[in-house]
Amino acid sequence: MGNVTAILQKIFVRRFYIQNTLFFLVLFYLLFGVVDGGSLISYHRSLMLGFMGNLYFLLLVLALWALYGMKCAGFVLKTFQTQGFEFLYPTLGSVEKPARRRLWLLIHTGIYMPVLVYAGIAVAVGITRGFWLAGLLVAVFNLLACFLPLALYERKLHRPDVTFFTGYLQRWLNRRFVKLPGLYFFYELFTNYPRRILSVKLACAGILWLTFYLLRQTGGFDARGLMLGGMLCVIAHGQLMMQHRAFDDTYLGFLRGLPQPLWRHYLRLAGIYLLLFLPEIVMMAANKTPLSSLTGCFVLAAAMLLLFRSLLYFPKMNAEVHMRYVLLVSFVTLFMVLAGYEWLAASVMVPASAGLFFFLFPRYETYVEPRS
Amino acid sequence: MEAVIALHNVRKSYQDFHVLDIARLELPAGIYWLQGENGAGKTTCMKVMAGLIPFKGEIILQGNVSSHRQPVAFRRLINYAEAEPLYPSFLTGRDLLELYLGTKGGNRQQVMELGERLGVTGYMQNPVSTYSSGMLKKLSLLLAFTGNPLLILLDEPLITIDKQALAVLYDLIRAYSANGVSFCITSHQPLDQRELPVSGTLRVAAKNIALV
Repeated sequence: MGNVTAILQKIFVRRFYIQNTLFFLVLFYLLFGVVDGGSLISYHRSLMLGFMGNLYFLLLVLALWALYGMKCAGFVLKTFQTQGFEFLYPTLGSVEKPARRRLWLLIHTGIYMPVLVYAGIAVAVGITRGFWLAGLLVAVFNLLACFLPLALYERKLHRPDVTFFTGYLQRWLNRRFVKLPGLYFFYELFTNYPRRILSVKLACAGILWLTFYLLRQTGGFDARGLMLGGMLCVIAHGQLMMQHRAFDDTYLGFLRGLPQPLWRHYLRLAGIYLLLFLPEIVMMAANKTPLSSLTGCFVLAAAMLLLFRSLLYFPKMNAEVHMRYVLLVSFVTLFMVLAGYEWLAASVMVPASAGLFFFLFPRYETYVEPRS
Repeated sequence: MEAVIALHNVRKSYQDFHVLDIARLELPAGIYWLQGENGAGKTTCMKVMAGLIPFKGEIILQGNVSSHRQPVAFRRLINYAEAEPLYPSFLTGRDLLELYLGTKGGNRQQVMELGERLGVTGYMQNPVSTYSSGMLKKLSLLLAFTGNPLLILLDEPLITIDKQALAVLYDLIRAYSANGVSFCITSHQPLDQRELPVSGTLRVAAKNIALV
């Protein structure tokens, strides 16, 4: 069993730390890099006593540990679903149940270890100060965090089609609802590329936060400033557009075979990008943007997104060339916005995107670079 | 006899490489076996006929439905099952079936019975990422029989499916053919003449298709 354990440690534990190196570097910096070496112990002792002595603070810490626990469990379950790791089902499925449980425990505690170490020290520090109840709470929480996921892993082994703990819910939903073609790309993003959409949305949130901060600093709202922020958000969506095209090319060929008119394909495209940009609009609205500016910004962003996506129906348009066109169009649009012609810009871009789409979509075919 | 499908000056190239150059081909109703070596252009030909990839020239169905002038009506009359079907991992068989029923039309009850016969109903609620290649193939075959097609193009339908499903498939082809649906089937395995009475053999060679 020693060899099996070593191999599983390699597959799960080592891979987890390698894949999350950046995450641990940031965490390490936040925990140990923000204070000077001399006060490091007293800093952490105070931090531990802080959350062991205050219920609300403790609940917050437990919530963060729970998130980390979910990340660990998600990693193990995702490994099972990853192509190339199918051998885990027959191999682990052949191990006797008690031995397999020990293996699950070793794997899970191996990746949950940072929390266990920190929580263990916190309990010891808390008990010296008489925080028995908090100590008990932390101990019970971590025991549950170590043992509950084992049942999920066991379930996954016998039900490979179930994804994470939402399997039952997923099947229940699948029986009742049919996914709309306009949402396929969102399913793809959230199931297979969550980091990509999250990073784009975080970048856009940052851009808009900075936009509103600068607008306040310069003493008053200016719609042109907001539109500039909106345009930067549109440009940040460029990588999602490339992803969208690759997804369409790889998986959605069958949609072309359906008896649907072109305008429905175009409406679907427009729906995708309007929905994609909705969080930014919500953020603008939450910052008390006047309705006229909000509408103008939304229309301009939608027009730009549609035009930029339609450009990708030129089969030879790669990411680099696309970015050049995106920047060129944005540059011209910027001056139109500064001159107060944003509606004119939008009213040029929407027909341009529709024209490109209606002309190129029926002729579009994935471009394969010829071998040199 | 009026041609079910007629190809006029159909040309298809991938960059500078010409794959198909068919001056004229007219096929009356029937079951056709499309043959050709690997890379001869069978799949490209099928995708062109199904209107899935752009091409030059014209394809007419039933003498009056043009691939370019009436693309929606054209796609309603022609169904295609890929040799190696690929769908987004998160979609379920049911999602796809509902999409096909919603766009291609057809009798829901009949399609459900068909699914039952092919043995796909048991896993229709599961995402396609959990399907084996055989299950995926059966699903794509079921989708190819959905709607009211005039012509069904089956690219390598005999691979990966089990014997039971194969018998059902032969049976379906015969039954649909008796109701006036035509078939164009590619297969490297010889088609069993007792199971499938082939009306003619099409050979893809030298960028052309000839009825032999």
